[in-house]
Amino acid sequence: MRNTRDTKLLFELSEAGRRAHRLPACDVPERTAKELLPASSLAAAPPALPELSEPQVVRHFANLSQLNMSVDTHFYPLGSCTMKYNPKRNERAARMPGIADVHPYQPESTLQGMLQLLYEMQEYLQEISGLPACSLQPAAGAHGELTALWVAAAYFRDRSEKRTKVLVPDSAHGTNPASASMAGFQTVTVKTLASGAVDMDDFRRLLDDEIAVFMITNPNTVGVFEPNMKAIADAVHARGGLVYLDGANMNAILGIARPGDFGADMQHYNPHKTFSGPHGGGGPGAGPICVAEKLAPYLPTPVVVKVKSLEPRVKSQKDGSTASPALDSPLLTLDYDRPKSIGRVRAFFGNVGVLVRAYCYIRTHGPDGLKRVSENAVLNANYLLSKVKHFLPVPQGDRCMHEFVATAGKLKSEKGVSAMDIAKRLLDYGFHAPTVYFPLSVKESIMIEPTETESKEMLDAFAETLFRVIGEDAELLHEAPHSTAISRPDDVRAARQPMLTYSSKE
Amino acid sequence: MKPESLLFAKTHEWVAVAEEGGQKIATVGLSKFAVEALTDLVFIELPKVGRQVAVGESFCEVESVKAVSDVYAPVAGEVIAANDKLADKLELLSNDPYGEGWVARIKITDETGLKSLMDHAAYQKQCAEESH
Amino acid sequence: MAKVSVGRQTDISTNHASTSIPTSIQLNPTLRSALSTPNRTTMPYLYNTPEDQSAMLSAIGAKSIDELFAMVPAELRLGRALNLPPAMSELELAQHMDGLAIRNEHAGSKICFLGGGSYDHFVPSAVDELAGRGEFYTSYTPYQAEVSQGNLQVVFEYQSLIARLTGMDVSNASLYDGGSATAEAVLMAVSSTNRLGKVVLPTSLHPEYRQTIATYLKDIGVEVATVGTPTGVVKPQDLAAVVDDKTACVVVQQPNFFGCIEDAASLASIAHDAGALVVAAFDPISLGLLKRPGDWGADIAVAEGQSLGTPMQYGGPYLGILACREKLIRRMPGRIAGETVDRRGNRCFALTLQTREQHIRREKATSNVCTNQGLFALRATIYLALLGPQGLKETANLCLQKSRYAAEQLCKSDRFELAFTGPTFKEFVIRDKQNHVEEVIEKALEAGFLAGVPLGKWYPELKDCFLVAVTEKRTKTEIDRLATAL
Repeated sequence: MRNTRDTKLLFELSEAGRRAHRLPACDVPERTAKELLPASSLAAAPPALPELSEPQVVRHFANLSQLNMSVDTHFYPLGSCTMKYNPKRNERAARMPGIADVHPYQPESTLQGMLQLLYEMQEYLQEISGLPACSLQPAAGAHGELTALWVAAAYFRDRSEKRTKVLVPDSAHGTNPASASMAGFQTVTVKTLASGAVDMDDFRRLLDDEIAVFMITNPNTVGVFEPNMKAIADAVHARGGLVYLDGANMNAILGIARPGDFGADMQHYNPHKTFSGPHGGGGPGAGPICVAEKLAPYLPTPVVVKVKSLEPRVKSQKDGSTASPALDSPLLTLDYDRPKSIGRVRAFFGNVGVLVRAYCYIRTHGPDGLKRVSENAVLNANYLLSKVKHFLPVPQGDRCMHEFVATAGKLKSEKGVSAMDIAKRLLDYGFHAPTVYFPLSVKESIMIEPTETESKEMLDAFAETLFRVIGEDAELLHEAPHSTAISRPDDVRAARQPMLTYSSKE
Repeated sequence: MKPESLLFAKTHEWVAVAEEGGQKIATVGLSKFAVEALTDLVFIELPKVGRQVAVGESFCEVESVKAVSDVYAPVAGEVIAANDKLADKLELLSNDPYGEGWVARIKITDETGLKSLMDHAAYQKQCAEESH
Repeated sequence: MAKVSVGRQTDISTNHASTSIPTSIQLNPTLRSALSTPNRTTMPYLYNTPEDQSAMLSAIGAKSIDELFAMVPAELRLGRALNLPPAMSELELAQHMDGLAIRNEHAGSKICFLGGGSYDHFVPSAVDELAGRGEFYTSYTPYQAEVSQGNLQVVFEYQSLIARLTGMDVSNASLYDGGSATAEAVLMAVSSTNRLGKVVLPTSLHPEYRQTIATYLKDIGVEVATVGTPTGVVKPQDLAAVVDDKTACVVVQQPNFFGCIEDAASLASIAHDAGALVVAAFDPISLGLLKRPGDWGADIAVAEGQSLGTPMQYGGPYLGILACREKLIRRMPGRIAGETVDRRGNRCFALTLQTREQHIRREKATSNVCTNQGLFALRATIYLALLGPQGLKETANLCLQKSRYAAEQLCKSDRFELAFTGPTFKEFVIRDKQNHVEEVIEKALEAGFLAGVPLGKWYPELKDCFLVAVTEKRTKTEIDRLATAL
């Protein structure tokens, strides 16, 4: 039940003179701001923020939180987002003062535990991907893609090779072509077949010496392991190009297959998906990348390396490779001396808070546990597919990896019921909707990723509900959801007459 | 303007050609069929006046809530006017696609593009096929 | 919302890596081998028991889990266990993490005078409590507005607060961090001015922001022109000498990286006279006292929002703030929430103007940014709601007063002087006349202080200098003790 009083906007709740946070009195000799700062730099008054009491603030946000579905409260089969359980032990670890209250510019001698964790994390990610070098710096998956493409650009520049194009399958996530553009490449789109596989004829037609990188998502966005992976990688390599693996779907292959072994030269991870970092209502994520040895010199600075002592700094090898000398009792340091590096992609080290949670996840599972994660993710997805296919066609066939894409195309043409209608109605039954209308290569697509942290009973309940929804009256579905706080926002109005701040409508 | 008097591009732009001061000027818009197919338009990014366009070049974009569609130049030349009224009254595109809903005027520099345009009857046939 | 009965509590959620299948469960050997990996221990976050697995496999029509992976060609399989340390129970993990954390100093173990874009500001308890609610932090992007009104309203409130804070018309839902937000703002300026010549960055802009911008621009061929700041601030005539009609934008940090107050309005008018845009990098806390970027001529305002209730956590994740004038809105990267009405006419919030974004426009998108920093936008929103205008002003004033006091106390020693003489806000640069900055920092550390950030790494000419930040958390006693220790 919505508490409409306390979920008014902060500005509407505001009363002049209220305040939630008091500060201590100034304990040093005080002068006026005018004495200390140029008059031209000073504001006449502080910004017009709302004025509220603490209980009011708490009730407001506590009530707002209850208007969300979340992994803690609901099944969230949002395809391509890997909405798995977010372990509470990881939260506790990330909030310890020795992690949370560490300043990014502390002397390295005061950071040895942190650097140890990050160094190990580099090694774990390298091992899981089968690629020998790692940068933890990128802030999100898309940022990792961009970073890897900059690495590729630097690699080709260093080799004086002019390559201007990036190949991207039409089923790829939109960030792939957008990242390619930002890195100065032209995107060339490769067709995919109904099965989700790359159209090899189209691929061979488009592959030429101007291709810098083939960006491939494998397992792909319909949850199929690319059948021609090796042939694609070999063909790209034969032309001197690089293969980039979009690691969005790593949850299907942990400990089973490694991108470095199946032909990728670079990949990013989404630790907030694969390694259970909470999604935070849309972020933060992180986007660490792993790359082949030949690309290591171009990774962003700094990387964590082992040295014999912190003073004086041990110079890295001349070629800038990350290989670190074997040492008896090594200390850890940040290596900035990487002359071929693309530089920085953000301020400070990286999204450490997310990486800490991912580290805890990997340590909790160990090698067998990670493999079991993927096995159960794939088992759950196939089980759900085996139920859903009887009432919603699944064009890719009877098997999938960690997710699958069903289509409401027939339902739409016969009954006028769209994928969106189904998604909205599922909300009434207490399920978060699957991803709809992505990938674009399947009409009226419904992309379902149950993850391994759901039970058979939950999958049964979801499939039964989906079946029931499909049989419901079309009118009921068009107007769904019926039991939520709001229903079907007017997107056209929102875009035609944008109201993006409270003040703008006054 | 009556649609029967217009020429159409495969990509759903219409063209009206007129002589003005010895120059051939093309008025360009979007067909009713196209506007209806796009549904719920929310924004148009008009071409800059003075821009040189080639036949088939994307020179304008129309946006619905969740899609962006390119408008392709049906003739080659220089953009000499853009319909600024659309910025505030996007509904002109659907209410009067062949009149007040025009998009741009182009001074034609190369007439070869005109040859590949079709008349209204041929365009209607294309639309009928696309609807299937 | 209708409730659905979920799962059950059973013995499968044991933490012990050594636990095997309960002996009461009798499986025939062939079925056993058809199931999960050899060491069939249950993992803490999995539900599926061996019975579940076999029931599911038979529903699928598969003989084994391995069969489900048939589409992964055998020659591409790993064929061995990953070389990773063995699994840990929760208790072991907690002990292990304690062991790592104890090897770090932090703002609770040493008194922190470090700044440079990340600050030890006080975080009110309600921020942690509210942002720690699972309904917030375990939810995702509000694709389904009906079950994301909490997040969407928070984003709308965040955008509204940031607009008021900055004096700009609109804000996006946030970007990764201050550095990448500044780079995105520069790209916005390049595309909206259509000037591919250069962007102008003073050396008083955060060096890591400058490095980030350089990376973002390198492969699209826009030059970075740098303006020196030997006095700690940009001299208007130095800026005027570099800005020309090919300049897309000038980035002005206020207060700047050295803590100094720039003559921001003069710098903005030089940029505007040349038809360039002004990107302001600001410190959110400073706006309790200082003029808002929108009030001194900024076209785009960016900031590191960590100061607004986010822990330092060794550099991230943080909050990239980006706000701009209305005319630039369609060039803005990232998500934006807007107010609208629902089917029944009720006010509600939804993501909007999405045609700018990568999932629709792909290679033509304004940016590749896909997510926002929802959790930190939430923290900033709660923080600003708790502080209100008066709280923000008092916080800013405490920073100003205490940092000025600290500068005076440190400079009482013959060894130290201020490197720059102009007015500063909460940070200042100290020069060690003996030119042994590392030694000073080390000595302070032994006395219990994280005393400052050495500047030589970025500014060879300032290798005898370090940057000191003083937030509202520092007390007179702490400052006096630091001065004595040095």
